[in-house]
Amino acid sequence: MQAVILAAGEGGRLRPLTRSKPKAMLPVANRPIIDYVIDALLENGIRDIVVVVGYRKEEVIRHLNRLDAPIQVVVQERQIGTADALRAAESEITDNFLVLPGDNYINAESIARIRGERNAMLVAEHPNPSNFGVVVIRNGLVREIIEKPEEAPTFTVSTGVYSFTPDVFSYLQTTEIPDALAAMIASGRRIRAIPADDWQDAIYPWDLLKLNSRMLKWITPEIGGTVDASVIRRGTVHIGTGTTVGPNTVIYGPVTIGNNCNIGPNCVIMPDVSIGDRVVLEPFTYVADSLIMSDVTIGSHSRIVSAVFGQGCILADHTTTYPSASFIEVGGRVQKEEFGAVLGDGVRAAPFTTFKNCIAGNSVTIEGGKTVVGLIEDGTRVM
Amino acid sequence: MCGIVGYIGRRDATPVLIQGLKRLEYRGYDSFGIATVGSAIEVYKKTGRISEGESGAVDLHGCTGIGHTRWATHGEPNDINAHPHTDCTGRIAVVHNGVIENYGELKRQLQGRGHTFQSETDTEVIVHLIEEHYDGDLLSAVSASLPLLKGSYAILAIAEDTQQIVAARDASPLVLGVGDAEVFAASDMTPLLEYTERVIYLEDGDVADLTHDHFAIYHGGLKVERPVELINWCVEDTRRGGFAHYMLKEIYEQPQSFYETTRASINDHVRGMVMETGEITLVACGTSYHTALIFKYLAESLCNIPVRVEMGSEFKYFTPPLHGLVIAVSQSGETADTIAALKMAKARNCPTLAITNMQGSTVTRVADETLLMRAGPEIGVAATKSYTAQLAALMQIVNLRCEGAFDDTLSHAHLAIGDVLLQDVREAVTLCSKAEHVFFVGRGAFYPVSMEGALKMKEISYVHAEGYAAGELKHGPFALLTAETPVVAICTPGPTYGVMASNIKEMKARKAPVIALGVAGDTELAEIVDIFIPIPNTHLLVQVLTASIALQLLAYHTACALQRDVDKPRNLAKSVTVE
Repeated sequence: MQAVILAAGEGGRLRPLTRSKPKAMLPVANRPIIDYVIDALLENGIRDIVVVVGYRKEEVIRHLNRLDAPIQVVVQERQIGTADALRAAESEITDNFLVLPGDNYINAESIARIRGERNAMLVAEHPNPSNFGVVVIRNGLVREIIEKPEEAPTFTVSTGVYSFTPDVFSYLQTTEIPDALAAMIASGRRIRAIPADDWQDAIYPWDLLKLNSRMLKWITPEIGGTVDASVIRRGTVHIGTGTTVGPNTVIYGPVTIGNNCNIGPNCVIMPDVSIGDRVVLEPFTYVADSLIMSDVTIGSHSRIVSAVFGQGCILADHTTTYPSASFIEVGGRVQKEEFGAVLGDGVRAAPFTTFKNCIAGNSVTIEGGKTVVGLIEDGTRVM
Repeated sequence: MCGIVGYIGRRDATPVLIQGLKRLEYRGYDSFGIATVGSAIEVYKKTGRISEGESGAVDLHGCTGIGHTRWATHGEPNDINAHPHTDCTGRIAVVHNGVIENYGELKRQLQGRGHTFQSETDTEVIVHLIEEHYDGDLLSAVSASLPLLKGSYAILAIAEDTQQIVAARDASPLVLGVGDAEVFAASDMTPLLEYTERVIYLEDGDVADLTHDHFAIYHGGLKVERPVELINWCVEDTRRGGFAHYMLKEIYEQPQSFYETTRASINDHVRGMVMETGEITLVACGTSYHTALIFKYLAESLCNIPVRVEMGSEFKYFTPPLHGLVIAVSQSGETADTIAALKMAKARNCPTLAITNMQGSTVTRVADETLLMRAGPEIGVAATKSYTAQLAALMQIVNLRCEGAFDDTLSHAHLAIGDVLLQDVREAVTLCSKAEHVFFVGRGAFYPVSMEGALKMKEISYVHAEGYAAGELKHGPFALLTAETPVVAICTPGPTYGVMASNIKEMKARKAPVIALGVAGDTELAEIVDIFIPIPNTHLLVQVLTASIALQLLAYHTACALQRDVDKPRNLAKSVTVE
């Protein structure tokens, strides 16, 4: 059995976080999402893996090269759809195979359920089906897939995980896989709908927080680096090598901290926090329920709650992220979701900045202690 | 340049040797060959590249063998001049890297004694000398022949009736790899990475006797012990993965190689050397020469210390009054000219420091101290990540002299490097790939950056390119400007900005299309030039890096557009191990 992982798409609704990497490479609990997919395949003994790359492909390829598994890489030159991406892998396919999105979490048990099937898809129940392909099922077989409908007839959605025989390529007439399924159904092929055991997608930036807290359940406790004897730890805590945790810091797991960070003294890190590499948390800073990527510096006396920070943000002292919910338009839809802040790469903020339900683009600069709300475009300077 | 590889152990030698030679391909070569000890000495050699299925096509037997990639110096590249070379009887075979300076004289003597030479190479004298001394003991035959040779060599020799390789080195690189009931020998560690992480760096004058389960090293007739060292590189680093070219892979590894190199701690001896010296002299060749020039601008302006920079190849033709620290910069650590210059500096009692990417390379043995770049193996012939790693090491020296003033700048530089890698240079590539000549101009520290940009363009895309100090352009080269010669100008905020901007206007007035590198958001500059490539607006130290990388991308994509063999540009060798 082979597997094709689709990792070419940007994941535009996750902007500004996808500036330098595609969605599949966004770190969740300090591992790119695609790693969870690869792990699930390897656990099922599927080692013949092809990854389709495209958007910011260099980042993906570099990462894949570092993995132990021998992974074949193919390039989709223009990102015009999933079927087109699959076609890019056609020359590598010799056997029945699975197709998986590289940017959704899927567990090994779900893959075990579908791996024996010839033509099948994994489906799941989702409270907001209109962001997905909604699947109409009769007698365990797929009748119809309706892409991102305004009014969804059921709560059953496609996970984007399929099992195919190599002749599927003759059905790939358009650029999207669901069209090929419709063509297969029309020609009398039976496509089984199999419920996934555990699956989760992150459509919008704030969804990463949910995915993060879910993935943090699986981290392994490990203490690398230098942790002061007065540090209080509870729950599962992972601290990378070269990281220093200063005196009187309190860490309540699940928390994962990368390599070469500098934390504290006197910081508090509450559950559901991921911190990347080379992050600096200055003294008296409090962090909870947040995903902080590499090279971020957070000044002292800050309070960071329910926030996603992109790489290389530099936030001065007394920065606050304040969770609240207001209307924000993302990807053409108006959303209302409670979160503190989503900051793109390289955001800089002056002392006493408060982010309130704010999405700040890449390289945004906030000058002077302001309260900023809502959507701020890339490169904006807030005076 | 030439690469050698030897294997003795339990496996079939041919595939190991062919694979090893493929790993050494990056050193540059025009022919290759292998020899094994089967029922007799069996030799296979060929002009041209090693093809994918080569090991299947080579029908040699035996678990002992030697191989060679040749970059022609004495005699043109053809099947006869390719190594291995055999003696008159065909019982002994030798591969050799280096140059035998007295081969003419030796050849006449040997011919006088009745030896028949087949090739025009200097190497063949070695095998005939060994033949004269050979009476069934290969080790003593090789040892007896070596004192007659003048010049540089790394040699591997095999003989018909013995499962044994004799290795010797003097002034050419040779490392041994120790496996499990198998022993490897190679010019550098890249072919060994797949089989073992335990290596031994031989010293000049060493002779090693290798059998499958045993090795012994002799120096001046006495048995000596050499330490077994562990390599910290992994074989993944030498694989291209999904990248189209090694060069592209290495360009994208630069945030990491820069970061790793600036993070590496500097030992107290090096620290002392740097802090105490009143002046610094750098010797380097090629790309390393450009990094050295950049260092000159940075160190003189930021830490107020006199710096001179000399090309390794020219150093010996003047007798400079040398005082203070001498730094040799070489990626491979085997650059013959740089090493010769370093030896001169040592002879004058100057403290010497080597900056190199190759642990255990010759330059590290010659210099008093070494500052190791953490670039990892660089396979592409055009230097990219080793360039940034060299700059990282040199900027660390600047930072040291300035008492850590740039700690913060350097620790965040990898982010700006990552940023510039996202830059789309396609428009500029279209312009450059149609041009016959491209000029690169800059001022201050950006002058050597322009030279490096031009060098990259020349070496991989074969488009004629020259780097000039912008102020020098009007003293001659201006005559060459036409509407068909694009100019790449680096124009960033600082003391050079105003005068660069007016230079650009002068060029525009001569209708030359201008590609400008400026900081993001500089709309004024973007308006006067034809193509604007933004680089992050950061500290000068980082701008030097990001501008260089933008120019690497430009050269790489231009070469791709012209369908050049990016990783193996014609006539070029990765490390120039002959003077």
